[in-house]
Amino acid sequence: MNTKTQHAYPFTAIVGQDQMKLALILNIINPTLSGVLIRGEKGTAKSTAVRALADILPEIDVIEGIPFNLAHDEDPDVIRECFRVMGQEIPSGDTVPLKKHKVRVVELPVGATEDRVVGTLDLEHALKAGEKRIEPGLLAAAHRGILYVDEVNLLDDHVVDVLLDSAAMGVNTIEREGVSFSHPSRFTLVGTMNPEEGELRPQLLDRFGLCVHIEGSSDPVERVSVMERRFAFEETPEAFCARWKEESAGLVGRIRRARELYPKVTVSRDNLLAIANYCLEVGVDGHRGDIIIMKTAKTIAAYDGREKVEKADIDKAVMLALPHRIRRQPLQDIVMDVGTVLQR
Amino acid sequence: MSSKLYPFSAVIGQEELKLSLLLNAVNPKIGGVVIRGEKGTAKSTAVRALGALLPGEQRAVEKTGCTPAVVTLPLNATEDMVAGGIDFQRTMKEGRRAFQPGLLAKADGGILYVDEVNLLDDHIVDIVLDAAASGENRVEREGISFSHKASFVLVGTMNPEEGEIRPQLLDRFGLCVEVTAESDSDKRAELMVRREAFDADSRGFILKYRKENERISEKIVAARSLLHRVSVPSHLRGFVTELCRENNVAGHRADLVMEQAAKAHAAYRGTGEITVDDITAVAGLVLAHRRRDPVPPPPPEQPQEQRSEPEKSDPENDERREQPREEAGQGRNGDPGNASRQEEVDKGDREENKTDDTDGSSGTGDNAVTPEMEQFFDVGTTFKVRKISSPKDRKTRRGSGRRSRSRVSQKQGRYTKSTILRKNNDIALDATLRAAAPFQRHRDNERGMAVVLREQDIREKIREKRLGNLLIFVVDASGSMGAKGRMVASKGAVMSLLIDAYQKRDKIAMVSFRKDEAVVNLPVTSSVELAATMLREMPVGGRTPFSAGMVKGYEIARNHLIKEPEARPILIVITDGKANKALGPGKPLDEAFEVSRKISGEERIRFLVVDTEEPGLINFGLAGKIAGLLGAEYYKIGDLQAGSLLNIVKNATT
Repeated sequence: MNTKTQHAYPFTAIVGQDQMKLALILNIINPTLSGVLIRGEKGTAKSTAVRALADILPEIDVIEGIPFNLAHDEDPDVIRECFRVMGQEIPSGDTVPLKKHKVRVVELPVGATEDRVVGTLDLEHALKAGEKRIEPGLLAAAHRGILYVDEVNLLDDHVVDVLLDSAAMGVNTIEREGVSFSHPSRFTLVGTMNPEEGELRPQLLDRFGLCVHIEGSSDPVERVSVMERRFAFEETPEAFCARWKEESAGLVGRIRRARELYPKVTVSRDNLLAIANYCLEVGVDGHRGDIIIMKTAKTIAAYDGREKVEKADIDKAVMLALPHRIRRQPLQDIVMDVGTVLQR
Repeated sequence: MSSKLYPFSAVIGQEELKLSLLLNAVNPKIGGVVIRGEKGTAKSTAVRALGALLPGEQRAVEKTGCTPAVVTLPLNATEDMVAGGIDFQRTMKEGRRAFQPGLLAKADGGILYVDEVNLLDDHIVDIVLDAAASGENRVEREGISFSHKASFVLVGTMNPEEGEIRPQLLDRFGLCVEVTAESDSDKRAELMVRREAFDADSRGFILKYRKENERISEKIVAARSLLHRVSVPSHLRGFVTELCRENNVAGHRADLVMEQAAKAHAAYRGTGEITVDDITAVAGLVLAHRRRDPVPPPPPEQPQEQRSEPEKSDPENDERREQPREEAGQGRNGDPGNASRQEEVDKGDREENKTDDTDGSSGTGDNAVTPEMEQFFDVGTTFKVRKISSPKDRKTRRGSGRRSRSRVSQKQGRYTKSTILRKNNDIALDATLRAAAPFQRHRDNERGMAVVLREQDIREKIREKRLGNLLIFVVDASGSMGAKGRMVASKGAVMSLLIDAYQKRDKIAMVSFRKDEAVVNLPVTSSVELAATMLREMPVGGRTPFSAGMVKGYEIARNHLIKEPEARPILIVITDGKANKALGPGKPLDEAFEVSRKISGEERIRFLVVDTEEPGLINFGLAGKIAGLLGAEYYKIGDLQAGSLLNIVKNATT
């Protein structure tokens, strides 16, 4: 993990793409926003941005010795069971050993098998030796972290089903031949896709809290600095990262302060009604849109260091939370710009 | 995990949904509920929350402890996970077959919850339905024969955009609720506040609603004990029957369910006597998915009619289904009666075009004068498409989708056989044990196991499931297609096939041919949306270069087969067959026939011809002839419709 972060392109050095960067940052501040879907053409720094997140992610405490990223206040039964299936000694006494590590970005490859994602039981070992052995999957690694799916629209349906199930329940279950084992799996889902290659199922689409469209910059100055920075990074990654270190540290600090501030942020009743009315007006399926707008607006306020949500926060939140939620006709493209919907 | 559930009493609005769940909790004889509606409307939240309310004494308690009252059946569940299978640990240690109960056993006495029930594999649906109906789960596989009690309340949720549920399955659900988002902004605001409060401090939030939850829980317990004493006055029985008859429901299930639901409703109110109000309160829930329009005496093909009818005539249902039609038809009404009226209007609109066509359709194929002008047509009425799939073969594939059966190389689908080939570590325990059995006497048993296994004993499962296909649409966009609203209907047919393709997760490609050439409108993609846009924008006019279109379509199929040799492309040709432009020097029609015959030599491609020629005084039947040469399935547009017989009858009477 650590060796990789040294060579990741710094998040703060990404030119432009402000919506995408904001959406990602908001998700780090507030994991209950449940993810971002980044839609756009190839070569628009989608993957770079997600991988660069490692740079600015906060640290969390996890229980040491088992690969499930458990928090210390997890249900004790769950903790015991997790130790048991890994064939580990269950720590005696009240305190379990903790270690710190950065929130992880776990990448789910498009061709991943269900076993790899969910985890598996080594049945052959079980048959020959008569004992269970669990191999945890990506969903265990992604607990309390970020699950990143590049080209999420090309994911096999059965893997999507698994993702939806654990996203809905916060739990992943490995089940085979009469062996059943569950562990917590709550993750921020980050997906990138090129819409030309097919859409997402509505159910999966709805799981992403936010959605941003990105395209290559049309500003020649920006394009030049994209090239310059990329070139500088490839020449001497260490030096390049060092140059951006201060900026990264600043962002990390700002994210940390926002995380602390978030619980104190309030939304006035009028603003809540404004959100509800807006969703009713543009036609949004269900209530998840309302909830996500409110959470996003609060997170934006916290990121700005304010304790009160303002109308402008809501306007910004709408742009991020609604593009993929506006009711559309079957087989119709999803809207690019939420602002245009009301004008229709 | 159950301590983190959103409390039932904190769910805002959704009164019908809550009522239907509570009624089922009081009286499992109602037979469950299916919840239809858009995403994010507290469907799952309410169902899971109900679990926390269910009184414990009725639940099956296993050795492992108390099972949750709500058992979720994940979409990726395998047969042995659902019904139960061999307990390998005990089998290996004790040397005899031991049964390991599955989800159905866990759900006994509680709720079996299937999210997106319309996406569940057919064979799993069958298992669940059998158990739900009989209250018993019978396992006869992998050498075990076992049965146990499995009486549970089946709760399913679905989003109709993702494809409809099989009507047989729909009828098995006692109640049906249609949920929509709250339209009152005050309530929506309150909902946001509560959700955020729950996310911030779930324990405190749950505590706040504990009293109210307990009150409901007590009411359920009281109602359950009161239930057997609730009686139905005989005049109200008549009322129930009358209600069901008025709504033309099939069979007697509705009557029985309504009586049970009314009993539960009365008991929940705390009274022993059913009143008219109890019945009217539940009638909507019982009839929502069973109501039918009055139909004339059914045609002799009873089974087919049965399949399509409950869907077709359920008004709640129609409301939702109308949406896609309306939009696909761009403002057109989905109702068949209206559609034909619309058709008349179209004809009026295109008077000019109609006269143009008279030469086109009355001349012979190759010297017809076709209008060179370019036109754009709306997409006609869409409909539910009949089943189109590839026949089963012995090849192994991987992937997803729901069209054609195939052997699969992934741990999904139905276990049909075992094999000695090791591929994906999907071990077939029964076969492995059988393979090891004869050698037990001669093997060293160091670990003290009952059965000693060696590498060579291991057998793997061969599984079978449905997969998506590649559908290649070859659309005739020549001038003759523009006549008499034919293109509108053809586009409607293609759009229907596209919606079907989306629901079955197919890949698609589209070729259109007109004027002098064939154009690939859409290379192979999964984006049905893109195809729909292409279709809407497809211009019509010019001659009919039929063979060029066929060759292009064939090329796409061939190229795809090079990449994926196991693929099963289906080439769908939508045409009237009146070829009048050749690729080479020969006569266009002769060339069309020749090309069709040659292409039919590729056995991996399956062909389907949709004939758009309307029956008139003179019929050429050219598309039919081409279908014959291709060895294709042949349909008129009307025949594409699932259960079309019923509709024919309907149209004749209106």
